[in-house]
Amino acid sequence: MEIMTEKIREIAKEALLNNKVQMVIGWEKGDFSFESTPVFITEADKVDSLVFDNYCVNNLSKYLIEESKKYEKIGIFLKGCDSLGFNQLLRDNRIERDKIYVWGLPCSGMLDSKNKKYSKCENCLHPNPVVYDELIGDEIVSSGDPEERFREVKILENMSADERYEFWSNEFSRCIRCNACRNICPACSCVKCVFDNDDINVLGKANLETENGFFHLTRAYHVAGNCVDCGECARVCPAHIRLDLLNRKIIKDLNETYGEWEAGMDSTTPSPLVSYTLEDKDNFAVKKGGK
Amino acid sequence: MKRILKSNLPELWESISNNFDLFLPMEQGTLINFGAYETDKNIRLDILKTNSSVKEFVFPQTETYLKFKLNKKKLELTPVAVEDREYVLFGVRNCDAASFKVMDNIFLRQPVDTYYKAHRDRGIIVTLACNNPEETCFCSAFGIDASEASPLADIATWEKGDYLYLDAKSEKGEKLLNSVAILLEDGESSELVELKREIKIKLENLSLRKLDPKKITKTQQDIFEMEDFWEELSKKCLACGSCTFVCPTCHCYDVKDYDGGNSGERYRCWDSCMISDFTRMAHGNPRTSQLQRVRQRFMHKLVYYPKNHDGLYSCVGCGRCIEKCPVGLNIVRVIKRLGEE
Repeated sequence: MEIMTEKIREIAKEALLNNKVQMVIGWEKGDFSFESTPVFITEADKVDSLVFDNYCVNNLSKYLIEESKKYEKIGIFLKGCDSLGFNQLLRDNRIERDKIYVWGLPCSGMLDSKNKKYSKCENCLHPNPVVYDELIGDEIVSSGDPEERFREVKILENMSADERYEFWSNEFSRCIRCNACRNICPACSCVKCVFDNDDINVLGKANLETENGFFHLTRAYHVAGNCVDCGECARVCPAHIRLDLLNRKIIKDLNETYGEWEAGMDSTTPSPLVSYTLEDKDNFAVKKGGK
Repeated sequence: MKRILKSNLPELWESISNNFDLFLPMEQGTLINFGAYETDKNIRLDILKTNSSVKEFVFPQTETYLKFKLNKKKLELTPVAVEDREYVLFGVRNCDAASFKVMDNIFLRQPVDTYYKAHRDRGIIVTLACNNPEETCFCSAFGIDASEASPLADIATWEKGDYLYLDAKSEKGEKLLNSVAILLEDGESSELVELKREIKIKLENLSLRKLDPKKITKTQQDIFEMEDFWEELSKKCLACGSCTFVCPTCHCYDVKDYDGGNSGERYRCWDSCMISDFTRMAHGNPRTSQLQRVRQRFMHKLVYYPKNHDGLYSCVGCGRCIEKCPVGLNIVRVIKRLGEE
């Protein structure tokens, strides 16, 4: 990791000095050993704060929405999961590919404040970036098990409707309405979120079970087909709500209904929910459910 | 000073819960928060700080004031009263207890907030000294001593060996201890000397021991104008409100209505300077950027509040914001950097 830190400093310095990029987005050490936090560098002599260690868990790509408006070209470091989010932002036309230079970083998993591997990293299927201009370091062989991805979803699916209702009511009842899940999500990139539009009163600020459930279900359906399963929403939730599980259930349903689909693998294929082909498993010819 | 064998605590809690609503830190799934006492709950006095703070008890996240209903052409207004049963918060850490003082300054000054006062008056605070403070703790920066009794405690307690020591600090505390006197035995404060010394040594060795907000000596205007500094900080900020919601001293609120057509409710709820409509008023919003909101958050805690309240800071060093911020943007860094010459 120390070698990597040296290397990314070198790379960033060279890129800034030669005006290949005007800003570098990376990570720097915070005030605690377990904190590596986003940093924005525009001057070559400030690259020495850059690090790459086991605590660089933050996905930096979402910052590109705002920052890339201000510069001709930005350099950014992306890990595997981050790169999926990056593709998602490209697909949503929230950023422009030619304004960004991507240094890809293979990642063996990140650690939390107690030095335990994040659960989202334990079964990582994408330790290597799926998009980059330059790969830094050697590729890592994924040890993730694709079966494991939906193990917990299957447990939920085997519950009765009442049990599932109770499970999710319990999850959402803990919500403190902080919006961290929304704000960290690379699929949540609307210019103006419907929930921030207080003129139309879609949702109040009250912490009530009904409002909390409405928020989470609306959000989950809104990112359906766009969620890259990076697990950041669950990681940052101060109330430990299993948002990863909610998103994964939708991913599984999409796979089963419209065929295998993995958001973020590229930036051009349209999501199954915004496209229609005659080969779709569900052709909508037969009316099912409802009244 | 009284004491009780820790193995007899369930009996004590049972007895208290006969006369009061009793809340304790308890494990619920992966979270530990204050919850209503029940015999089969997993009570965790060992946990240093709960996931959320205890401010919820005196300043609920959502609270209805008033119900209204249009009956033909007559508007019926029904104020909603606060529950009048006394409650006990058992196992409050000194940092959280100190936060009540910060909020008292706001809600109990004229005009007194009757809802806050009702909640506050009915609460009995039983504090618990911190035997094992953590790396993210910095209560000492705000003059809080985690080894001693909090000035806000009605009863202060210490865990030592097989015993929990209890010391009544107010009339309310005396009354509560008297009501369970049969379960308690006499203890001596001298039995706690060694424990307090040990805790003080641990506090001295914490990595944030030297953090001192009094080193911030720049003027309010100078701090306000440090645009580069605020820009650098706020760039990272995701504009979520988790720091403000888990904070025991953040006390901004919004007043809103549930609009049900011919009937509805007026409620107040926690607001957050991190949210885009914060400070929006009839003419618009004076704070349109995240820089302005982040600056507001930290200046409120470290500059404006102490200026208006005899030097008391609106932070108690609990460290929840450090643990919860998704991008490691925390008050420790701000105190350090603003205090640099």
